[in-house]
Parts: sequence; structure tokens; C-alpha cells
Amino acid sequence: MTDTAVKANDISVLEISGITKTFDDKVVLDGVSLTVARGQTVCLLGPSGSGKSTLLRCVNWLERPDQGTVLLCGERIGMRKGGVVPMGNAELARLRMRMGTVFQHFNLWPHLTVLQNIIEAPVHVQKRRRDEVIAEAEALLENVGLADKRDAFPSRLSGGQKQRVGIARALAMKPELLLFDEPTSALDPELVGEVIAVMKSLSQAGSTMLVVTHEMGFARETADKVVLMDGGRIVEQGDPEQFFGNPRTERARQFLQRYVSA
Amino acid sequence: MTFNAFLSLLHGAGVTISVSLAGIALGVPFGLALALLRWQRVPLLAPLATVYVSLLRSTPAVTLCLLIFFALPVIGIEIDALSAAVATLTLNTAAFNCEIWRSGLMNFSRDQIEAARTFGMSGPLTFRRIIFPQLWRTCLPSLVNEMTLLIKSSTAIAVIGVAEITRAAIRIGAQTYDPLPPMLVATGIYIVLVLVFVGLQRFTERVYGHAGGAA
Ligand SMILES: Nc1ncnc2c1ncn2[C@@H]1O[C@H](COP(=O)(O)OP(=O)(O)OP(=O)(O)O)[C@@H](O)[C@H]1O
Ligand SMILES: [Mg+2]
Repeated sequence: MTDTAVKANDISVLEISGITKTFDDKVVLDGVSLTVARGQTVCLLGPSGSGKSTLLRCVNWLERPDQGTVLLCGERIGMRKGGVVPMGNAELARLRMRMGTVFQHFNLWPHLTVLQNIIEAPVHVQKRRRDEVIAEAEALLENVGLADKRDAFPSRLSGGQKQRVGIARALAMKPELLLFDEPTSALDPELVGEVIAVMKSLSQAGSTMLVVTHEMGFARETADKVVLMDGGRIVEQGDPEQFFGNPRTERARQFLQRYVSA
Repeated sequence: MTFNAFLSLLHGAGVTISVSLAGIALGVPFGLALALLRWQRVPLLAPLATVYVSLLRSTPAVTLCLLIFFALPVIGIEIDALSAAVATLTLNTAAFNCEIWRSGLMNFSRDQIEAARTFGMSGPLTFRRIIFPQLWRTCLPSLVNEMTLLIKSSTAIAVIGVAEITRAAIRIGAQTYDPLPPMLVATGIYIVLVLVFVGLQRFTERVYGHAGGAA
């Protein structure tokens, strides 16, 4: 409990305020506000179409929200000071580098080996020294249990292995925030565990993570905060014990009935 | 057929080869540039590229060649026959190459591009590091096919007096009153040229074949 209090007092790594997004008259995000403190793992739950992916895409400005602000460690994303001038590509890239994204469908680059996938952005975007980055990448591969796949091409890996490479690739940027969009949804059930295990150890090691997931077990055991979205709004958020044990809203109760029993 | 006649056929082959290679070397990147303009929907330039492609695709190479050779001097641009020949082949093949590159770009995985963007990669860097290394592999067979078409259609440049293979063969046939041997030799040379290109394509695919497949 005191632990959580200390974390909450710390500066927020991510601060989303009043995000609104409309796609041709369809309101997909309707005033979403959410903070992730340093070292926290926040799990974002919600039925299909509730706007979870769109929210993550607004965080790294792949999608431009109609209203609202996104702050990464206090720095505004997408808009320059004052919030009227759109940010230039270079500036946007510098902020995006500080977030690592893990995708549902891995999105690895198939013409590059596992190692090359991991060092690509650190070497060519962050312009860090190649030999240094390679050493780090090898250590990361060791951590995710794929040291022997260093020189394999992605097409040779199982889904679970691909996703662990995806996580290593995100970590190689040394991001301040990790974004996961349903990292296990495309995996065969028997491969989910290996990816969840890596995510758990990241969370325990103090990474700051915003995770969209349908893995209720992971949310329950690992999250510092659980957020339920529905119809573009946050309908309930709280610590996992309270959320899963005693949800406050009727909507959360319905959702849990459907997903936890399923 | 005399030895001299054979030599002049070989000379014609040399002209065909060099003019074709020049057309390919200029037309393939030019086509890529046109494709990128359209793919990125660059204002003004993208519609221009579209118009260019439709016009050039519907203009026969012979007509284009005459147009370049006789019309350009009218607006004050002097051009020799060989340059006009290279320009014809370049402008023509670029239109077709544009379509090849563009379809490769349109089919390129959006997920991969999005991943590059989230990792802070700029557009040019994404193109250089992620898109192009895969794009050329997928486009290569169609590009080589277009190259072989270019070699065969290069005979259009004879219309402005460039002594390429077919023109050389016709002239020898007319002098000797025996058109068959030079024509057969010319045909043989075309076949060898096309086979060389197809062979190079196979070789390249074997050496750089790893496009990885779906990730
Ligand atoms: N580019 C777009 N253009 C139009 N509509 C879109 C676009 N992107 C998302 N939407 C719509 O926005 C709504 C929310 O989509 P989003 O992908 O954010 O949901 P989600 O919560 O991630 O769902 P899922 O669990 O299926 O991934 C959906 O109705 C979707 O059709
Ligand atoms: Mg989604």
C-alpha cells in the first residue's frame, strides 16, 4: 500500500487528459484521461471496438486526437508549446523513441534477422554505437530466452518467439514507457505463457507499462491499476483487487462475467 | 553473308545493348520516383505523374521517338539521334516501371511501416532501411520482364536512323538480296540478350533471395 502511494507521488510518465477522437462521425474516444506513474503497470481492458488501440495510437501520435493532450514525462506530444502548432516530424520522432511499442501482430521486419530487428532503431534512429547496441541486444535476447535465435529470420520463429523478439526490440530503445497492444491475442494458447512471463518480469523489474490485454490473470496478478474502457470512455478504474473482487459499476460486472468465465 | 556484314550486325547489337542499358539504368529509378510521388500522394506532382504514365503507356515507342527527335528542335532543344533514342526508351519504360514499383508499394505491409514510425524512423529512413530492401526483391521479376520488352521494342529507334540490330540486318539483307541469314542472326542475338537478363534475374534471386516471408 505505501509502495503504491510512493509511486503515485512520483512524476507521471504518461498523462493523458481529455482525449477525444472521431472517425467520420463515429466517436471512438470520448474524453479519456489516464495517468501512468513511473514503474507502474496499467492494464487497459475493454470489449472489442471500445477504443483501446486508438487510445494507444493517440499516445504515440500515430493517430491525431481531436481534443486533449498527451504528456510523456511532462512533455507534450504532437503539439508545440501552446498547443496550436503541430510538431515537426523530427521532434515527434524524438518523443516516439522514448516509448517502446509491442504489437499484436509483432510487426517484425522480415528481411532482417532477430538481432538486426533489435538494433535497427537504436543504431539508425538513436545513432548509438553499433558494438554497444549489439552487446545490449544480446543481453536482451538472453533475458527473453532467445539467445540462440540471434541470427534467425523472423519467419523461422514461432509466434511466442516473435513476440519475445518484439519485446526485446522495444526494450532496446531504452524507453521510458512500454506500450503493449494485445501482445498475446495472436498467439496459440500454449504460447501465451512464455510472453506473459517476460511481461511479468519486466513489470517486477520496474518498467512503466501500459498494457491492452484480455489476459485477466495477468491483469489481476501484475497490474498496479486496471482500467476498463467501453464505448470510448473509461467506465471504471482501480487497483486489481478491488476491480476484480468488487467492481463498482454494473458495466464492469457484466464485462468480468463475460471475460473471466470465458 | 560476308564477315563485314556480320561485323555490322555485331555493331548493331552493341548499339541495341548500350541504348537499352542506358534506358534501363535511367528508366528504373525514374519509374521509382514517379511511383513514390503517386504513393505518397504528393500534391500537384502525383497527378502529374498519373497523367504522364497514362500518356506514355498509350504512345507507341516509334511515335515517341519521332516526336522527341523532330519536335524538340522545334522548341529550340537540339538533340542527336542516339540521345533521342535513349530518351525514348527511358521515358517509355519509366511509365511501365512506375506501375510495377507502385503496385509493390501499395502491397507493402502497413504494419511494418507503422512499426518503423513508432520507433522514430523518418520517412526516408523507413524507405531506405525497411521498404526498399524488400520492395526490389518483389518487383524484380516484373522489372526484368519489362527490361526484356524494352530490348525487343528498342528497334523502334531505327526510325530516326540509329543503326541498331534490326536496322543493320535489314540493310545487309537489302545489299545481299538474301534477307534471311542476317535476320536469323539478329533474332539469335535478341534471344541471347533476353536469356542473359533472365539468367541475371535468377542469379540475383538466388543470392539475395531471402525476403523472409511473413513475419
Ligand atoms: N482509421 C480508422 N478509421 C475509421 N474507424 C476506425 C479507425 N480506427 C479505428 N476505428 C474504429 O474505432 C473503433 C475503436 O477501434 P479500436 O481499434 O480502438 O478498438 P479496440 O478497443 O482496440 O478493439 P479490439 O479489441 O477489437 O482491438 C472501432 O469501431 C473501429 O472500427
Ligand atoms: Mg485493438
